[in-house]
Amino acid sequence: MARWGMVIDLEKCTGCQACTTACSMENSRLPGENWQDVLFYNEGEYPSGKLTWLPRPCMHCENASCVDVCPTKATYKDKDGFVLINWDLCIGCKYCMIACPYGVRFYAEEKQKTLPDVREVWPSKDGKVWDPPWAMPEHMNDPKHGVGIQPRNVVSKCTFCYHRVSKAPQGTPDLDPNDPKTREFTPACVVTCAPTARYFGDLDNPKSYVRQLIAEKCGVRLQDHTGNRPQVYYLAGEAASIPETRSTRTRKV
Amino acid sequence: MGDFEQMNRRGFLKTSAAAGVAGSAAIGGGAVVSTLSTDATGLGSRPDGPVPETKITKNVCHQCPARCGIDVYVTNGKVHAIYGSPDHPISNGKLCPKGHLGAYILYDPDRFKGPMKRTNPNKGRNEDPKWQAISWEEALNTVATRLNGLRDKGEQHRFAIVNGRGWGSTDVGLLGNFGKLYGTPNSTLGHSSMCADTSKKAKSAIDGNYSYNSYDYKNTNYLLIFGAAFLEAYRPYNNNMQVWGHIRTKAPKTKVAVADVRVTPTGAAADHLMLVKPGTDGALALAIAHVILTEGLWDRKFVGDFVDSINLFKTGEELDPKSFKEKWTLGLIEWWNAELKDRTPKWAAEITTVSERDITRIAREFGSTRPAMAIFERGVTLHTNGLYSGMAVHVLNALVGAMYAVGGLANQMGVPYAKLPVSSDDFVDDAAKEAAARKMPRIDRVKSKELPLASNNIQGIAKSIIEGKPYTLDTIMFYITNPIYSAPNSKEWEEALKKVFVIETSPFPSETSVFSDLVLPDHTFLERFQDTPTYPFEGWPLTNIRVPAVQPLYDTKHFGDTLIEIGKRIKGPTSEYYQKVGNVENVLKAIAKGFEANPGSNGVDSYEKWVEKGVWYKKPYLYRQIAGEFYEWDGEDYRKPMSAEDVKKKLLKTESGKFELKSSYLEHYDEFIANALGIPKEKVGFPQWIKAKYTGGGDLHFIATKTPMHGEGRTANLPVAISLYQPTSGGRNELFLEIHPETAAKRGIRNGDRVKIHNDLGTIYARAHLFPACRPDTVTLPFGFGHWAHGRWAKGRMEGNTNEIIPNVSEPISNAAAVHTVTVKVEKA
Repeated sequence: MARWGMVIDLEKCTGCQACTTACSMENSRLPGENWQDVLFYNEGEYPSGKLTWLPRPCMHCENASCVDVCPTKATYKDKDGFVLINWDLCIGCKYCMIACPYGVRFYAEEKQKTLPDVREVWPSKDGKVWDPPWAMPEHMNDPKHGVGIQPRNVVSKCTFCYHRVSKAPQGTPDLDPNDPKTREFTPACVVTCAPTARYFGDLDNPKSYVRQLIAEKCGVRLQDHTGNRPQVYYLAGEAASIPETRSTRTRKV
Repeated sequence: MGDFEQMNRRGFLKTSAAAGVAGSAAIGGGAVVSTLSTDATGLGSRPDGPVPETKITKNVCHQCPARCGIDVYVTNGKVHAIYGSPDHPISNGKLCPKGHLGAYILYDPDRFKGPMKRTNPNKGRNEDPKWQAISWEEALNTVATRLNGLRDKGEQHRFAIVNGRGWGSTDVGLLGNFGKLYGTPNSTLGHSSMCADTSKKAKSAIDGNYSYNSYDYKNTNYLLIFGAAFLEAYRPYNNNMQVWGHIRTKAPKTKVAVADVRVTPTGAAADHLMLVKPGTDGALALAIAHVILTEGLWDRKFVGDFVDSINLFKTGEELDPKSFKEKWTLGLIEWWNAELKDRTPKWAAEITTVSERDITRIAREFGSTRPAMAIFERGVTLHTNGLYSGMAVHVLNALVGAMYAVGGLANQMGVPYAKLPVSSDDFVDDAAKEAAARKMPRIDRVKSKELPLASNNIQGIAKSIIEGKPYTLDTIMFYITNPIYSAPNSKEWEEALKKVFVIETSPFPSETSVFSDLVLPDHTFLERFQDTPTYPFEGWPLTNIRVPAVQPLYDTKHFGDTLIEIGKRIKGPTSEYYQKVGNVENVLKAIAKGFEANPGSNGVDSYEKWVEKGVWYKKPYLYRQIAGEFYEWDGEDYRKPMSAEDVKKKLLKTESGKFELKSSYLEHYDEFIANALGIPKEKVGFPQWIKAKYTGGGDLHFIATKTPMHGEGRTANLPVAISLYQPTSGGRNELFLEIHPETAAKRGIRNGDRVKIHNDLGTIYARAHLFPACRPDTVTLPFGFGHWAHGRWAKGRMEGNTNEIIPNVSEPISNAAAVHTVTVKVEKA
């Protein structure tokens, strides 16, 4: 049993979107279906205006509102802290998309922004949304955990790279991409993050580095008032390039 | 913008959109209700059977010149993942956003499938070339027949090869010999004049090194950045971001100040952003230098001091050169008297629009923090005054003692490759010798009276072809460059390429291929062997090897092998030479023999180990300046003192062996420079303020910017890249012109309106994005859009190719295209 969580240090994040492209590659996402998105904001005016940004994965909430509203129990909280979608049960009703306070869920059946439609260029023969040549190898597809290319008419979202993380040995406190022993179990966005703005570990393990970072650097959770209790924490240090109004103002752990 | 905590999800998304940001969760806005049919997909269980093996091969990313070592994951014969190689000193297991796009490039469905010839003799944007697939034998013989025909007539110079991003010994490294053996001066027409030639010239004029610098960012405590998008476009992007994570959290934290013309992510993430008026960075740098001197903040151990140690620099007052004893600089007092004494922050504030207070503050911070360094790139140098502005910035590095110091700048060391076992010198025949004796000028007119100091002039080739001067070209071959789309005044090339036989070697359809007569498609980077020595990085030598992750998907050929195969078909001993060279793998095996005597820090001492590890490198950098003295690495530390002669030979390669604040190199060309820039002859040696000339006849500065997702040459046709949002100016299948709300209001433009952007040269269109943080006199549009070929996703998707409204004007000394000089008019379309 673990309670996997992520820490994103906004003081280090450069808004480059490598997390987004790494996720798209690792999880064979459709163009624009950014399980891991970066949002950009403008504030202020010349000559003191600002450009700010916020990387946004699924928060894998402890008390996830998406789980509560799912009529078929397709969306569920896993024993190790993942919030996942069982595509075998999902009926694509999109209640979860409305319930999620963070806007991290996707429904792939809508019109593609980028045409021609890649789903027609690389159609799937077995009922999936698409089947590009670079798709995740077939044996790694795991629809009960929302991993791989989804079937049609279901909702999808970030799995915390369940297919990687779930293979980590029991009791591992942190998944560090710089450690060869844990690199292959680390989520794609954490592996690639060039400024090392992302950390991933077990929030229940007092020895984990993520716990230490949250404690030392006053980790905050987005929209904590909703009671969702996200398992993604943001570090908003003094020089963090973040929207002033985006992080919670109370910097309590 | 409201309080985030008070927002529900809908509010969250709405606010995002209001800020001009399409960061919404769902794609599109349709409300499709699904059916209860997921079980019918048969995806309920995992397939049985053994787990297939995943193989990792070493390669090097192709999306920018940074040379990030990558691990390419292949399962069931398919590339499905690319990550940074953990043991690679540039990528360190990380990647930038472009690095993960590699598989999409490999599997781009629009790739050329094999060699082809044109059957439609008419050329034009809308003319279908009517390609006919041919064999490689026919393709290569077609080229050889043309080349031998020219050779028979003694007209080899009428064949030209124009190259873009070169990688190493197996591509552009082969071009010089090809030209020598065949007999054309036009085999190495590079693209650097649309890139860094002014930056390099600025550095060479004062420190003697015509190159980029290597940098010790990790140890600097102050980074002053002029016109270089450190966190978006500045190479090595990936490593820069790794550095960023380090320097922004180390103790003491590195302070970063940025001078740029727009709000870049770099500027946004920095401590200070000075939004300078385009073309005025030189004035800002000079004012900073002025403050450093008048306030006595210069590094005395590197620069020297007044004879009696009292600071005599006072604004407006000339000094006796004898009053100052210089150490590693030359001409400080002469420069002060001729230029710097009046370059006050107040003066610069008028020109740059940055406040006097900010200029003084940055100057004091920069001048009083050690180690500190000032870096600059094309934002500064791609202006008509770019050479002298670049020099003004680079001088700051001497003033704070950053040259070759810890936390400062150095130069890149070369790789000890072995030579090929066969020497081209032994195969130069009479035809080639006669060709050399004719001394035909290059078709791009470089080294002519018009361009005595230039390295390249790719942007001038179209004109040469159209005018038939200095002669009419017969055949032109392109390698990783597409000037018909990417050169300033790109449309001129459409006329030019109608007049010559065009050979394209790209694996992908391009604007060039629309005008081509023959296509000899290269492999993509994931299918080819290739060496890639690093661009200047941390100084110590490094070179990578690309190893094919998969067999070539189609009937393509490595560009190097194409060249070698053409060589084998050239008459005379040239053919023999290329028979002996054989193929690019032989070249790689031969150069790798140099590692036997120089094993790398990672144990690479042979070709086989190079292939296994993907990289050879040898630390440390061998030279260091410590408190005004130079030392060489003695095997354990920097302890071997260097003489002034050593420094001149190995580091400061100017005539004086000093960091020249009065450039002897430029003074040799005083007449040419004085005429070209309208400055007094006696002043040409000094870093100085020269007004930029703005072109286009508009009333707004127009900046064509590179976005973080712009991978070299190919991201325009990758749906995943296209769909990603780019900070403030593009993405999600949109192309935004960044414009200040007041500027827009005066023109009746509202957020999201389609706008017409026009000037003397032409007209393009985009959608307006009102951005209150940008300069009211400057609009920004990213380049890389407006393709009219290039693949199904790129073609016709967006209409704004910035190069169609950028006049072909260059910095007159270095001849780099001064693309940021342009001005435009903007109105509602």
